[in-house]
Amino acid sequence: MTAQLATVTAPAPRRWRPRPGAVVGAVMLGAVLLLTAVVPLLPGFDPMGQDLRAALLPPFTDPAHPLGTDALGRDLLSRIALASAVTLGMTLLIVAMNAVIGTTIGILAGYFGGRLEALVTLLSNVTLAMPVVLLLIAICAVLRPSAGLTILVLGCTWWVGYARVTRNVAASLRRQDFVVSPLTQGADTLWVLTRHIVPNVRPHTLIIAATDIATIVLITSSLEYLGLGVQPPVPSWGSMIFDGQRHLGADPWLSLLPGIVMLLAVGGAQFLSQQFTAETRGGLLRKGGMR
Amino acid sequence: MLLFIARRLALAVATVLTVVTVAFALGRATGEPGALLLPDNATQAEVDALNAALGFDRPLIVQYLDTLLGLVTGDFGDSYRLRESALGLVLERVPATVELAFWAFVIGLVLAVAAALTIQLTGSRVLRAIAGWAGAVRQSVPDFFFALLLVLVFSVLLGVLPSLGRTSYASLVLPVLTLATGQFVMYLRLLDSALSEQAEQDHVRTAIAQGQRRSSVLFTRMLPNAALPVLGMAGLNLGGLLGGTVVVEVVFAWPGLGQLLTSAVSQRDFPIVQAGLVFVALAFVIVNTGVDVLVRRIDTRTAAA
Repeated sequence: MTAQLATVTAPAPRRWRPRPGAVVGAVMLGAVLLLTAVVPLLPGFDPMGQDLRAALLPPFTDPAHPLGTDALGRDLLSRIALASAVTLGMTLLIVAMNAVIGTTIGILAGYFGGRLEALVTLLSNVTLAMPVVLLLIAICAVLRPSAGLTILVLGCTWWVGYARVTRNVAASLRRQDFVVSPLTQGADTLWVLTRHIVPNVRPHTLIIAATDIATIVLITSSLEYLGLGVQPPVPSWGSMIFDGQRHLGADPWLSLLPGIVMLLAVGGAQFLSQQFTAETRGGLLRKGGMR
Repeated sequence: MLLFIARRLALAVATVLTVVTVAFALGRATGEPGALLLPDNATQAEVDALNAALGFDRPLIVQYLDTLLGLVTGDFGDSYRLRESALGLVLERVPATVELAFWAFVIGLVLAVAAALTIQLTGSRVLRAIAGWAGAVRQSVPDFFFALLLVLVFSVLLGVLPSLGRTSYASLVLPVLTLATGQFVMYLRLLDSALSEQAEQDHVRTAIAQGQRRSSVLFTRMLPNAALPVLGMAGLNLGGLLGGTVVVEVVFAWPGLGQLLTSAVSQRDFPIVQAGLVFVALAFVIVNTGVDVLVRRIDTRTAAA
């Protein structure tokens, strides 16, 4: 009897149903991550070893080289896996750096206001009004190009979006009771910032970071296509596509395969981030916390 | 309005100054060009003499002020390699780049408006879904790879269009198509969301409830309101278009600014890099400021303020 009553009164649990975009995104990105993780464990993994007698093998012909070989006879599957690891690793590092820098500056500017806020506003307006990608190309090319330089330059310059948003959030939180009252009772500012401001700002930072991943992959790949960024013999998607371009007529797979992997990764990241953004926004609104 | 324009101009000046400073810093970060320009067996005295002739022996602040002065007089020095006015070399390349960017922008925008209006008029979910998925795929591919796919299909497989250089109108097709598809996807997305937002507004609903034709409501009420945010974005997006043009020019060996700049950078030909960056920044800032003022002027909600 009680059991029956319980089944009647309990609210029907809403089944969480992922949108089709999220499923497609997860599968796409998952495939790339799987490739990156598993291929280095396979016995034939050798992204650097050259074998000119086995150069330009087409895919699916030689069991030793499942995806064929490039013009120097290097195993394409191994190189694509390493390139994926390199590009994705760089991207995550760059996104993380920007998220930390931008959020810190944004919180400080929003919470304290004043000159710092004015400076952030000016900086963000200037960056918005500048051909940033062109400048990045110039900077990365003029100073000796390397993976470290690309990470440093992109990692320290793409944070304005984070600063803009988190500044607004921090400024709106500044006057709220739960932020002000600990201060009146003797809490120090750092404690309030880390305890009350940061947790409320974090979802906004994560939303931007999720959307940024795809953008950063596209920018780093374009830089690598121009020969800036990771230097040979270490492969990257951009440089592999560039190298393959010369053989586009007879051996188009040299460019196509890394390109397809990049498409899977970027597309997957984009679909997932859209889903993530929608979910998080919904969650925030439901709690009625922000704004 | 005047105050707004003044503020916008101040921002434009700050932006150009930032670009000039970055360009200057880059030029000095690579060291003095004398050793680079002379043959390996040149004596130190010769190297010093050349550095002095190029003005590198002066204090940094004087060199910087000289660069700023160059901004006003249009004198960015001579190209190290070609011994010609750097600005002249840059201006020579501008038409080719403008041609590319202009057609990409126009075609992308016109097609996006057409597609967005079709989606709104037919109210077709299938059409919107197709546009959404195709757009997502295009945005997941960088310009240079999309360009390569086009080359593969139209030049290698079909053999109907040239893949390199700027020889005829036919060679314009592939680079413009590469850039225009990117523009198309972006504007379609912006316009569609702006129009959909308009569709839920009270004045639109009222008009439809009163029996006005859907198309007339779309053209007289929804489109003018939706166009504003899109116009505002168009100015900002120009920077992305320029950045994209640089890469696309390299792919198609298009003799424009981007190609000049990338080759000048790899040859460390600094006056050209400086002149090019400043020119692009100026063009970008002028268009951007113009668009901002225009939007402000058209938008009756803010024009009075």
